Amino acid sequence: MLNKNMAEAARKALSKPAPYGPDVDLSKYDVLNPRRIEPTEILEQERVRDASGRLGFTPEIVRKAGYVQVDEAYLASALVESLRKQGVFVMSTAEALRKLDIAREVAWTLIRPDTDKYVATAYLYGKEQGYFIYVPPGVKVRTPIYTCLLITRGMTAQLLHNIIYVADGAEANVVTGCSIAGLHAEALHIGVSEFFVGKGAKLTFAMIHAWSKGAVVRPRTAVRVAEGGRYVSYYMIYSAVHSLQSYPKVTLGRNASTSLYSIISGEGEGIYDVGSSATLAGPGSSAEIISRNLAKDKSRVVARAEIVGESGPSKGHIECMGLILSDTAYISTVPLLDSRNPEATLTHEAAIGKIGEDQLTYLMSKGFSEEEARALIIRGFLSVEAPDLPPQVKLSVDRVTELISSKGHG
Amino acid sequence: MGNEVLRVEDADIYVAGKRILRKVNLSVGAGELHIVMGPNASGKTTLLSAIAGVEPYEVRSGKVMLAGEDITNYPLHERVEKGLVLAYQNPPSFKGVKVSEILKWLRRKFDLDPSFTESLAEILDIHKLLGRDLFSGMSGGERKRLETYLTLSIMPKVALLDEPDSGVDLDSVGRILEAIKLALKHGVSVVLVTHSTHMLNLVRPLTNTVHLIFKGHLVFSGLYDEVVPLVIKRGFEGAAKALGRWS
Ligand SMILES: Nc1ncnc2c1ncn2[C@@H]1O[C@H](COP(=O)(O)OP(=O)(O)O)[C@@H](O)[C@H]1O
Ligand SMILES: [Mg+2]
Repeated sequence: MLNKNMAEAARKALSKPAPYGPDVDLSKYDVLNPRRIEPTEILEQERVRDASGRLGFTPEIVRKAGYVQVDEAYLASALVESLRKQGVFVMSTAEALRKLDIAREVAWTLIRPDTDKYVATAYLYGKEQGYFIYVPPGVKVRTPIYTCLLITRGMTAQLLHNIIYVADGAEANVVTGCSIAGLHAEALHIGVSEFFVGKGAKLTFAMIHAWSKGAVVRPRTAVRVAEGGRYVSYYMIYSAVHSLQSYPKVTLGRNASTSLYSIISGEGEGIYDVGSSATLAGPGSSAEIISRNLAKDKSRVVARAEIVGESGPSKGHIECMGLILSDTAYISTVPLLDSRNPEATLTHEAAIGKIGEDQLTYLMSKGFSEEEARALIIRGFLSVEAPDLPPQVKLSVDRVTELISSKGHG
Repeated sequence: MGNEVLRVEDADIYVAGKRILRKVNLSVGAGELHIVMGPNASGKTTLLSAIAGVEPYEVRSGKVMLAGEDITNYPLHERVEKGLVLAYQNPPSFKGVKVSEILKWLRRKFDLDPSFTESLAEILDIHKLLGRDLFSGMSGGERKRLETYLTLSIMPKVALLDEPDSGVDLDSVGRILEAIKLALKHGVSVVLVTHSTHMLNLVRPLTNTVHLIFKGHLVFSGLYDEVVPLVIKRGFEGAAKALGRWS
């Protein structure tokens, strides 16, 4: 079912490295054949509960999730049936491409299969695993749609293609948790995500990552926001990784806006090269990119951010903060403002530092132990005001923030 | 004098390795109000901070006793648990740490008396500050009222208040005074550093002892009327000379 020209191009790109992050030999991972399963088959498994628990997802959330993928096996839940009454579709991308014109129309229009070897691999070998979410015009789905992408077997390559299409005037909140069972497991996760936000539509997308020391993670995300639409993303990673590299790109039409938050907590010897890019393509558009970057142990965190002002009047702001918790850790912030229009107002602020001794001492003077004081300061550093997050999603985020700050005093 | 709760014995007091005060002796009884006076940079903050155990201030020789227990070598937060708490002259600001979070934590840790903390919060007008980041972007009055609240709400044995009234509007001074009165009534001993004649006038009837610091010494400890009028009339140097313990 692959498009001949795209497949041809993708094959040529199979050895094309990404511009950022360490290059990875993909040949050592096992690519498994997708299969559909029944919930009862896997949701009770210890390893599944372990992996999802680390995301701050309760078993209740996993049971109600719209789409769950465990290694190569996937399932869509009963919740999906109730959504279908509103014309909302949640299914695997492979199924959507078989059944829905809209899926065929938009798939692979924002990300080219020959972008780099990771996308090419997902295109050629992924068999369109991943989720497809469609919300019809004017329909507002307030309850978060959870999707859960888990790896439970070592040396697995999880290759995914996710599509979210929020039609004109519609609204959706999607929460994706990606995790792995076992803190030492080796695995590869490539997630190609294409999101479409219609005119006056709104998509809030929260993604939480909890990986392992051996995990190689290469998300590839592109988002198109039409006139007056709004896209909010909230990304959190708080685990070890082998390496993670991701640089989502958002393009904004007339009067469209976006807020892109990332909370990165690096540990072990992991490499975290994470950014966000927004292009102000339409007049009246605006973007803010806010990141909090924490580095412990020997981790290396590179926080990239880019705003391109193509048209005006438009507004963009980057805020990049780093907190170094060990003298063997490394943080680099790379904010880039690129204006091609005199009416584009672009600003950035960046700061990297350590926990202030005076703050620690102050809290201890009110009875906090040093550990408690550190945890509180780290929690403060990580908590960014993200008013668009629905309350249920904020709960998951808070749980994860708590996990990070309580183990962040090393 | 009531039961002694705080006693400083022959203490040499240092900051960042430099001696600021020599052979300090001080005794505070339960529920008493003591005032510490001295010129700028004479070592008032150093004295209070060293007693509280706040780095880089330290007591190098001599002793600090709290309710009969030698706490000279106790780490900071243990002194707090024992009931000795410092209100900073200039507390640092925090981003992302809400006032309400700190209060919640204090309530859990110290098993606070709700009726006392509630009255205190009302007096110091704390409710408006609950949703704010700790000390971030706060006015002088807001900072001092909050710092006084955080210190007194624990209901310590001894509260060391370092210029709670400096840079503060008159309304806030009045509120801080009321808070001190309430704490004293609950048996808290207060050691207060202040400069302002306004505050000095207000606390006169409550004051047990005034300590005068000058040129590296605690030169005199005595009654309010022995010290304060003299300082106002002749300045610190004149008062220190007249009180005869320094030349
Ligand atoms: N953290 C510090 N590091 C170094 N020197 C200090 C510090 N704090 C105070 N000092 C010095 O100690 C002396 C006493 O200061 P301080 O106790 O703050 O005086 P006061 O509170 O009476 O104005 C001053 O010379 C001051 O410069
Ligand atoms: Mg001072």
